[in-house]
Amino acid sequence: MTGEIEELKRLLGRDKVYDDPSVVALYSREASGLEGNGFLVVFPESTSDVSAIARWAYKRRIPIYPQGSATSLSGSAVPGKGVIVSFERMNRIYEISVVDSIADVEPGVRIADLNEALMTKGYMFPVDPASHVVATIGGAINTGAGGMKGARYGTMRDWVNQLEIVVPDEKGTVMRVGCRTVKCRQGLDLVRLIVGSEGTLALVTRAVLRITPLPESSPTVMGFFDNVEDLLAAFTELKTRRYPLLLAEFLDETAVSIAKKGVAGFESVRGHMFLASVESNHEAAERIMDDMVAVLKNHGASIIYTAQSLGEAEEKGLLTIRRRLFPAQIENARRFWGKSNVRVFIEDIVVPPSKLVNAINELKSITEKYGLPYTLGGHIGDGNLHPAVGIVLDDKKVVEKAHEWYVEVMKLAIRLGGSISAEHGIGLLKKDGLRLEMEKLDSIKALDIMKAIKRAFDPLNILNPGKLV
Amino acid sequence: MDYDDVRSRIIEEASKCSYCGFCEQSCPTLPLGPHRGYGPRGRVYLALLFGKKVLTETREFRKSVFTCLLCAACTLNCPAGIDVPNLVRLVRHVLLGEIEAA
Repeated sequence: MTGEIEELKRLLGRDKVYDDPSVVALYSREASGLEGNGFLVVFPESTSDVSAIARWAYKRRIPIYPQGSATSLSGSAVPGKGVIVSFERMNRIYEISVVDSIADVEPGVRIADLNEALMTKGYMFPVDPASHVVATIGGAINTGAGGMKGARYGTMRDWVNQLEIVVPDEKGTVMRVGCRTVKCRQGLDLVRLIVGSEGTLALVTRAVLRITPLPESSPTVMGFFDNVEDLLAAFTELKTRRYPLLLAEFLDETAVSIAKKGVAGFESVRGHMFLASVESNHEAAERIMDDMVAVLKNHGASIIYTAQSLGEAEEKGLLTIRRRLFPAQIENARRFWGKSNVRVFIEDIVVPPSKLVNAINELKSITEKYGLPYTLGGHIGDGNLHPAVGIVLDDKKVVEKAHEWYVEVMKLAIRLGGSISAEHGIGLLKKDGLRLEMEKLDSIKALDIMKAIKRAFDPLNILNPGKLV
Repeated sequence: MDYDDVRSRIIEEASKCSYCGFCEQSCPTLPLGPHRGYGPRGRVYLALLFGKKVLTETREFRKSVFTCLLCAACTLNCPAGIDVPNLVRLVRHVLLGEIEAA
């Protein structure tokens, strides 16, 4: 292998190729807790670097594993035996055009950094996964990521107009697919095929993304409920009143009891949390806010907080409570197991919002059987739930139990007419789940078609092999 | 001197990391370095591997450990509440102690 590595160093320059075991280790792990066994990390700085890597990998038949910031929760970013291609140095924002409503960026740009640049023009990129401060555009594209604003703005597949990609062949061919404009009928839609393909089809080297104006105003309410049915009835009523919900978020009472600690003004809250925000103009904001408060009160919310905008919601701590779901899940697990070295197993199912009551109640009864520490949060606006259990890795029985729980939760989503993954992807962890879902839909042939598409892009199966299908 | 007890403390603290990367947004050295090892997420993971003795002290490992400013900006954003500066101090302590003893 030394000869091949030296060849790559000659092609790219020594400062872009690392075989130091410490560096390789850092790029062989992801946020899901999975660890891989890559043997080299390369840091391309341009499309021509990526093309050279693809050409080299094809010629040498060496697997390559593209990576953004490794915050994947599905195993899609963890490498097998091969070369990790980190896009973190390709982080230029080439252009922001308000008239064309686009941002033209490289894949290593972090979502939060893009939004900081857009904010100066009164615009935003609305796909906001919880990891937006670290997650990159390239990673989000390949994961098909979503976020809190999913109910209003969907996921990555709705916000990518055009991609520059490199495919692994003898030339390391560079292509542009899709159009700069929203309207585009360029044959079969390869852009939306790449979005969510988890790095298995092509290496994304540049993206033209759609952008949208920041809302003029966004009246926001947060209420706490004793039971889930009342909370969901309030959510349903807001929907029937035709308000364009910017976000509709849920935390269960366990998560609330931990998340509220240390957030001033929330000492006395208890029960399940419902946070809703609506896009509006300045003139309508107060009327909408009063109406939202009345809806929450009528459905039995005990304590209600309000904010005129998401900025004010941030200042008052409303968003802090929601964002503390992840630390609350960790803390809940630590308390249960009485040790600090715990892991949280986070699910990512989606059900039609009309089935949320069934989903939330059944999740609770399923989890009780397993006797694992449990918290639930989610984006109820689009039906996406993140139930989570805490485990200790040094107890094999506990890990097995968590795995069984994971499978049962996926089956529940399928049974309720939903899907096994909303925004975290398939990766390694949900391949069985994907098969389950396609079986249930009597559509196994779809998996064969996916495999054929993979072969068309990557005939040697050297691009993130073993993931997705 | 036996550093095994210090290594145990390193493992205990570094094991809390779930690799979420939230810490990286506030690190002043990460944007200046060539890889993830110049940020807190990288330093914590390398500390864990060092504590467990599964990683030799490579050139890039030492750069990672000794470029930390111990400013603690990362601790503001760590959901697991990891004391990164102290962890880095412990690793330096063991590393320098073992070098001296050798």
